[in-house]
Amino acid sequence: MSTDELFAKFFGDSASRIEVVDNIATGYASVGGQEVCVIGTVDGTFINNAAALRLARHVMECTKSKPGLPIVMLVDSAGQEPNRTAEMLGLAAYFAHLLSCLEFARRSGHKLVTVATGKAIGGAFICYGMFADAIYALDTASVGLMPVEAMSAVTKIPVATLQELSTRMPALEFGAAPFALLGGVKEVWPTTADLVQKLSDAIRTASSEDDRAATGKERGGRLLAFDVQQRVLAESSR
Amino acid sequence: MSREPYHELKARQRIAAIADTDSFREILPPPERLMSTYLPQLGIPVSFDDGLAIGHATIGGTPVYLAAQVGQFVGGSVGEVHSAKLVGLVKSAARDRIPCVLLVESGGVRLHEGSSGEIGIAEAIRAVFACREAGVTTIAVIGSDIGAYGGMGILSSCCDFRVMTEHGRIGISGPIVIEKWMGKNVYDSSDRGLVWKISGGKTRFILGDAEVLVDESAGAVRDGILSLLGKSAPLDAAALSARQTALEQRVEKFGTATHPDEIWAAAGITDVAIATLDTAEDFKATLPKTAP
Repeated sequence: MSTDELFAKFFGDSASRIEVVDNIATGYASVGGQEVCVIGTVDGTFINNAAALRLARHVMECTKSKPGLPIVMLVDSAGQEPNRTAEMLGLAAYFAHLLSCLEFARRSGHKLVTVATGKAIGGAFICYGMFADAIYALDTASVGLMPVEAMSAVTKIPVATLQELSTRMPALEFGAAPFALLGGVKEVWPTTADLVQKLSDAIRTASSEDDRAATGKERGGRLLAFDVQQRVLAESSR
Repeated sequence: MSREPYHELKARQRIAAIADTDSFREILPPPERLMSTYLPQLGIPVSFDDGLAIGHATIGGTPVYLAAQVGQFVGGSVGEVHSAKLVGLVKSAARDRIPCVLLVESGGVRLHEGSSGEIGIAEAIRAVFACREAGVTTIAVIGSDIGAYGGMGILSSCCDFRVMTEHGRIGISGPIVIEKWMGKNVYDSSDRGLVWKISGGKTRFILGDAEVLVDESAGAVRDGILSLLGKSAPLDAAALSARQTALEQRVEKFGTATHPDEIWAAAGITDVAIATLDTAEDFKATLPKTAP
């Protein structure tokens, strides 16, 4: 699916108001009559310092000129490019700035809704998409820390071993469905679904409470996180 | 004041050197045996604290929530239990309005636990911002050889403040990954001087990504933390706009630079060779008042 086709599925004709420069999308559009601010990455692009700044600038522009408008974050990024200059400039600080701008938007009354549309991998997902109030993914999206092949290359654990384990440990499996089992994605949407309706509902129901650990436990994909968090919260108040 | 080099200490030794004497009360200590369920299935030894010590302490009489990552255990990496302890602690800090101090030593998400640790870090980042919204001070201390990489580099950068030593490094992609990607001729990960100049405390301080740079001793790190307790970094339109401008100017100025020495020179350091060897205090004294 091309970027134009994808955007049209969510925003119809209003997708023409979204500008894509160097695979970074910014703009405003309409979802079933509701105006929204859009930021995103397309075509699996790497996200670098300039990209983070471009997204941050648009978020700030929105909080200033269109208070309270929901912000839709589309994610199709392979991650941060391993790059010497990017690190020298302090890429972590750029990502933190983008997150800070989104936090300010949230506090100012903007709802934040993410849809992982393509690749949503590692740092590229952490630096904006996973910061939303509600996170969704298309069934065709590649969501997760990294594919088992890449995991194997770094950990030196054979691919076959990781693949075998991933059948009962969704954290090791790569994709939207296992990520949803962990609570990292609220719902996986078929690309054939009425995505305008899905996104409208997602915006309407978004709540800023982070319930991912509870969801992960409920769905059986991340069994320990919620209980450990709760135990710390209980013990710390003694 | 503890003169021991901070980077040579282990997690609980760091806590002992930084917290007031006998003030640390660990939450879910090792006897509770909170362990990874992933590592045994991969034939990797577990740790009873999953590589993170958390608890109450006081620093200079001020109550804090304190966490220290154990770099010796899978590189201080963040797995499911590790991240859940961190999230619980930071949420406790927001709830109780008690400052939160994170002694960071981590390569980031624990690959062996896949997306579980990744989501855990994302939850911890939300918790850090919950502290900031409540006006609760969050401080990341980065002064170890491992530094703060990957998701922990991002999380550390989201705190109100960062205290660094020259030994500390903040980044996302580590030097070995970059060398593999770009080639050894572009980034030689065995060139420790270069690696530390790209991501280490001195350069991060010059650029304004670390607010406090201190000497190597644990006592100096403690003093650095003390100087920040009770303060907050504003998160409002004016502060964000100023930060946006500063980060844009940084790309304009140094986006085509090949060596961090160019950043040092632009900061007004006339003798880079001497400044490289300077202690943090001497280094700060040689810097002119205005940042590049």
